[in-house]
Amino acid sequence: MDSFVSEPRPASYETLSNNVLKRERRARERQVREEEKKKVTTNKIPENQRQQVANDDTMDPTQFLSNRIKSLALLKESGVNPYPHKFDISMSITEFIDKYRSLYVGEHVENTEISLAGRILNKRSSSSKLYFYDLHGNGAKIQVMADARHSDMDENEFCKYHSGVKRGDIVGICGFPGKSQRGELSIFPRSLVVLTPCLHMLPRHAITSNSDEAQSKKTRNHSWTPGITRNPETYILRDQETRYRQRYLDLMLNSEVQKIFRTRAKIISYSRDFLDNLGFIEVETPAMTMTAGGAAARPFITHHNELDMKLYMRISPELYLKKLVVGGLDRVYEIGKVFRNEGMNLTHLPEFTMFEFYMAYADYNDLMDIIEKLLSGMVKELTGSHKIKYHGNGFDSEPVEIDFTPPFRRIDLIEELESRANLSIPKDLSSETANKFLLEACEKFDVKCPAPHTTTRLLDKLVGHFLEETCINPTFIINHPEIMSPLAKWHRSKPGLTERFELFVNKRELCNAYTELNDPQVQRQRFAEQLKDRQLGDDEAMVLDESFCSCLEYGLPPTAGLGMGIDRLAMLLTDSPNVKEVILFPAMKPQD
Amino acid sequence: MEGLKVWRLSSSIARPSNLRQLFGLGTSSGLVRCLDNGAAAANATNTRFPSRNRRASTSTSTSTNTSDREAVRAIRLKKVEQLRSKGTEPYGYKWDRSHSAKELQEIYKDLNNGEELDSESHHVSIAGRIVARRAFGKLAFLTLRDDSGTIQLYCEKERLLNDQFEQLKTLVDIGDILGASGSIKRTEKGELSVKVDSFSILTKSLLPLPDKFHGLTDIDKRYRQRYVDMIANPEVADIFRKRAKIMREIRKTVESRGFVEVETPVLQGAAGGAEARPFVTYHNSLGRDLYLRIATELHLKRMLVGGFEKVYEIGRIFRNEGISTRHNPEFTTIEMYEAYSDYQSMMDMAEEIVTQCALEVNGKLTIDYQGTEIQLQRPWRRETMHNLVKEVTGVDFTELEDDLKVAKDVVLKAVGLGLDSKDKSSIEACPSLGHLLNEVFEIFVEPKLLQPTFVLDYPIEISPLAKPHRRHAGLTERFELFICGRELANAFSELTDPLDQRARLEQQVRQHNKKRAEAVSVTDGTGEQKNIDEDSMYEVTLDDDFLTALEYGMPPASGMGLGIDRLVMLLTDSASIRDVIAFPVLKISQ
Repeated sequence: MDSFVSEPRPASYETLSNNVLKRERRARERQVREEEKKKVTTNKIPENQRQQVANDDTMDPTQFLSNRIKSLALLKESGVNPYPHKFDISMSITEFIDKYRSLYVGEHVENTEISLAGRILNKRSSSSKLYFYDLHGNGAKIQVMADARHSDMDENEFCKYHSGVKRGDIVGICGFPGKSQRGELSIFPRSLVVLTPCLHMLPRHAITSNSDEAQSKKTRNHSWTPGITRNPETYILRDQETRYRQRYLDLMLNSEVQKIFRTRAKIISYSRDFLDNLGFIEVETPAMTMTAGGAAARPFITHHNELDMKLYMRISPELYLKKLVVGGLDRVYEIGKVFRNEGMNLTHLPEFTMFEFYMAYADYNDLMDIIEKLLSGMVKELTGSHKIKYHGNGFDSEPVEIDFTPPFRRIDLIEELESRANLSIPKDLSSETANKFLLEACEKFDVKCPAPHTTTRLLDKLVGHFLEETCINPTFIINHPEIMSPLAKWHRSKPGLTERFELFVNKRELCNAYTELNDPQVQRQRFAEQLKDRQLGDDEAMVLDESFCSCLEYGLPPTAGLGMGIDRLAMLLTDSPNVKEVILFPAMKPQD
Repeated sequence: MEGLKVWRLSSSIARPSNLRQLFGLGTSSGLVRCLDNGAAAANATNTRFPSRNRRASTSTSTSTNTSDREAVRAIRLKKVEQLRSKGTEPYGYKWDRSHSAKELQEIYKDLNNGEELDSESHHVSIAGRIVARRAFGKLAFLTLRDDSGTIQLYCEKERLLNDQFEQLKTLVDIGDILGASGSIKRTEKGELSVKVDSFSILTKSLLPLPDKFHGLTDIDKRYRQRYVDMIANPEVADIFRKRAKIMREIRKTVESRGFVEVETPVLQGAAGGAEARPFVTYHNSLGRDLYLRIATELHLKRMLVGGFEKVYEIGRIFRNEGISTRHNPEFTTIEMYEAYSDYQSMMDMAEEIVTQCALEVNGKLTIDYQGTEIQLQRPWRRETMHNLVKEVTGVDFTELEDDLKVAKDVVLKAVGLGLDSKDKSSIEACPSLGHLLNEVFEIFVEPKLLQPTFVLDYPIEISPLAKPHRRHAGLTERFELFICGRELANAFSELTDPLDQRARLEQQVRQHNKKRAEAVSVTDGTGEQKNIDEDSMYEVTLDDDFLTALEYGMPPASGMGLGIDRLVMLLTDSASIRDVIAFPVLKISQ
C-alpha cells in the first residue's frame, strides 16, 4: 500500500548517529570494566578449571587460530578427515529433552544407545578422565558428561582426544541418557567425535564461570517468549555491530535470538494460513519493473544488460496485485521484499518485507474487521494473551503495555485533528486557503515541516503531532483526505475524503488500507495532482503509471486492499525497538 | 545451491519460430469460437479445456469486434455520465456475495430442467464479470463469471424494479462487473440461472475485451497485459491458482519435517553462491554499489553456523542474463539446508517435494508434459554422471588418463560425427577433465533425461561449494535432478572445510578474472567482437564474511536448490516460463 510515510529523515539521522556514538562509548567502557573483572575472578577458579581457561582463554586469538590450523593440517596428513561427511543422529536435542526430562536424579539408562549432535558452548573438566560440556542445538541445550569409564577409548586416548576438543566445536555423540547427581539431564558418551572444529575463539560471557552457571539457570527460568520483554544487555555477545554483521555468532551465543527469528517465521505462517482459510491465493509479482509505482518513495535503479533496459526495484506490489484482481483472481496476497532507496534508521532499511492483500467486493470497513481478527488472533496465539510488553522508547526506558484486544479504537482523521488542536480546517483541502491555514497551524503549534510545504505534507505533520502520538494501543486513523491518498477511493458520503485507514501501534504505522480507487478517470486526475506536488519539489509524490490506468479501464471490481509491514509487526512481538533486531542480515554501513 | 546455471548453458534463447511451435499456434485458429451466438456461450464456459488448447477461449465481445477501441471507450464514458446523472454510481463500493458461481453449481446440481426455487432460503447474491449477453424483448440472459466459474443471469422485465431492465439493455456492456441477487432457476435448456430481482453495476468497464488472442504480436500482448489474457482465457488464471497450491504444498512438506522459513537479503555487497552475472544498483545514502542476489546459498549456510539445523527460503533470485522460454531475469527458488544430513537424504527430499506437489495439483503421478508422458512414481533413477556419459557416448572417463589433450581426442573420436561446430569448439575449450566430462554430459546426455533422474557425483572443478566425494577423488557429493531434459534441482553435501572452501573460491575468482581479461583484450584488439564474451565482463569478489563464518564451524549438512518456476511449468504442462510468471520481463515494446 501507499507510503509508510518516511519519518523526518535528517532529524532522526542525527539522533541515530549520536545514539550510536554513545552506545559505542558505553560498550568500550564496559569492555574495559569486564576485562578487569575477569582478571580478578580468574584467580578464584579451582586449579583444574583454571588450567583449561588458561589454555584457551588467555591465548591470543590469532595464536589460537594458527594453532588450530596447524593441528588440522597434522590430522589431514595422518589421513584423518577433520570434516566427516555424515553423522547419523537418532534424535534432535529438543527431542532428547522431551523424551528424558522425567528421569530421576542419578538415573542412567545404560542399555539405550542414542546419537546426538550439536555445538559445544561450554567445557569444564574435573579431571583428565571426566569432562563436562554444554551441547547446544536448534535453540536447546543439554549437558554432556564424558567419563573415561564409559568411553570406547582407553584412558590415554580419551584424555588426549578430549583435551583437543575446544569450545565452539561441533561434535557428534553416541551414548546413553541419564541425569547427573545434581539433577542435570545429560548424555553419557560411549564415543564423541568432532564433526567440525571451530577455528576461532568464541566470545565468552563477561561474568565468571561460577556466576555464569547461576546466570544460565536464571535465564532458563525466565526463558523468553514472544510478548514479554528482552534484555540484550545480558547477552553473551552484546556489541550491536558484531551481532548484526556476524549474525551467526549472535544466533550461536545469544539463545534468545534464534527465538526472534522463529517468532518471525510464525508471524508469516500465521498470516498465510489466515488468508488461505479465507480463500485467498498467494501470488508473486515482479520485483523489477519498468516504472516504480504504488507508493511514494525513491526507487533503486538497475540495468538489464542484454535487453539494455533500465529497471526499477519495486517500491510496492500494489499496482500489480490490482491487475491480477482485474484478471479475475478475486482474493490475492503477496508476502515479499520491497525496496526503497532511502536512509537507514531505527525503523527503516533499504529492503523490507511487505504483506499485501486485495479482496474483491469488500471495502475498508471489512478490512478493519479482518485485520483486527488477524492481529488479535496472532498475538493471542503467539503470546497466550492479547497484551504485550514493548520497549517502545528504547531499552533504556520503561516498557509500555500494548493491548490487542479487539475492537481497536477508530478515530476520524480530520474530526479528531480539529477537536484535539481546536481547529476548523477548510473543507476544500486542495485550495490555497487550506494550505495557508495549515501552514499557520503548524507554526502556531511549533510543528516542524521541512519544505516543500504542500498541503499533504503539512497535514501529515499535524497528524503525526496530534493523533499518532496518542496511538499506543492499536488505533485506526480513518478517512484521509483525497490529496493524501492518490490510490484510495473517494468517501461515499464525506466529500474530499477517502475510504482509507492506517493502523497505528505504539505511535507507528503498521498497516495502510483502503477501498481501492477503481474509476480510471478519477485515477488519472489523482496522478495529475501528484504531478503538481512533484513539480513543487516533493520527489516522493507518486508517478503516473499508464499501464495501470489502462488496466483500470478494463474494470477493477469494488476491492479493498491492505499493506502491512512484517518487520514492524515482528519488532512489536519480539520487543525489538530496532528493526535490525528482526532482520537476519540487515544492511550495514560499509566497514573501513 | 549454486544452481540452475546449467540450464542456462544448455539452452539458447528462443526465437519467434520456436515460440510458435511451443504454443501450438499452428492449430489454434480453428478453435476460436465466438460467444455471440447465444446459449452456446454459457455452455462453452463450462467446458474444461486442456491447457495446451487454451486458444479455445471464449470470445467475449458483442458488437465490438470491429469497432475502434477509442470509439467504444467514448461511448462507455457517456454511459458512465448517464448513470451518474441518474444518481447511480458506476463504480460501486461493496457487494455482499452469498455464494460463488461454483458453489451454486454444486448446491443445485440436481435441480431439474425448468424447475424454480423461489422461497426465501433460495435467495442468493453473486457478483462477477459479464462475459456474454443475449437480449430479447422482455427477457435477457447474461453470463456472469467470477473467480470460481460461471453462472447465467436470467432477467425478466417484470421482475426488475423501475427501469432496471432498460438499464440492463442500454447501459450494461460485456466486460462490466455486476452484482446480482435473485432466486434459483434451471432453464428448460438446462442452464442453472439466478433469476434476477435486482442488480447493480459495480464497475463499468471502458474498454472492449478482445475477441481473440492469437498471432505472434498478441503473444507479446498476452504477457504484457496478463489481466486481459486472464479475462479472455480463464485457464490462464488457473495456472496461477495451481502455482499457489504448489507453493503451499512445498511449504507444508518441508515444515512438517521441521524446516524453518527465513529471509536473507536481496541487496548484497557481493553476489556469491553461483556463477552468474548479477544486477547492480546504487544505494544513495550508503553511497555504494549493491548487487542483487544470484543465490541464497551463502546466507542460508550462515544460519547453519548460527545453530539452526533445518532452514529454507522461498524467494526471488536475480540474474542479469538473456530472456528465453526458460529464463526470466527474476525467478523463484526454494533453497533448503539440513544439518547432519548428506546428499543421499536430499534425494529423498526432492522426490518427496515433487511427488507431493504433483498429487496436489494433478491428483496422479503420471503426467503429460508437452506430449511426453512422465512417470513420477518413486524411487527415481539414481546414476553417476560417469556412467550416464558412458552409456550414451561409450566414453569411459574413469579409464582416461590425466591428460586433457588425449581425453579430448578420445571424446572427439567417439562422438565427433554428431557434433556441430559450436559444440565442438566448446569441447575444445574445456580447461579440465571435469569440465570436459560435464560438457559431454550436457551435449549428449541431458536432452535424453526425460524421466526423473538424479545425476550423481559431479567433477570437483565445476562444483566449488560441494564436499569432496568420500570415496572418489576428483568428484563431489553432488546431484542434479533432471526431468524432461531440464535441471530441476541441484544439491550437495556441503563443503564445510573453510580452508578448502577458500582455496576453491579463490581459484574461481582467478579463473573468472582471467576470462574477463581475455574478453577485454579481445574487445580491445578487434573492437567489433564486442559480444564475444560479455558473459564474463562482471566483477566477482570473494565473500570473506562467509569464509569467516565457515571458520567458526558449520555442521556437516546437505543443501538443495529447486527451481519453482520450472516445477510449475512441469506440473501445469506449460511450455514457457512466461506462462507461469504473472508478469515476465519483456523487451521494450516497439
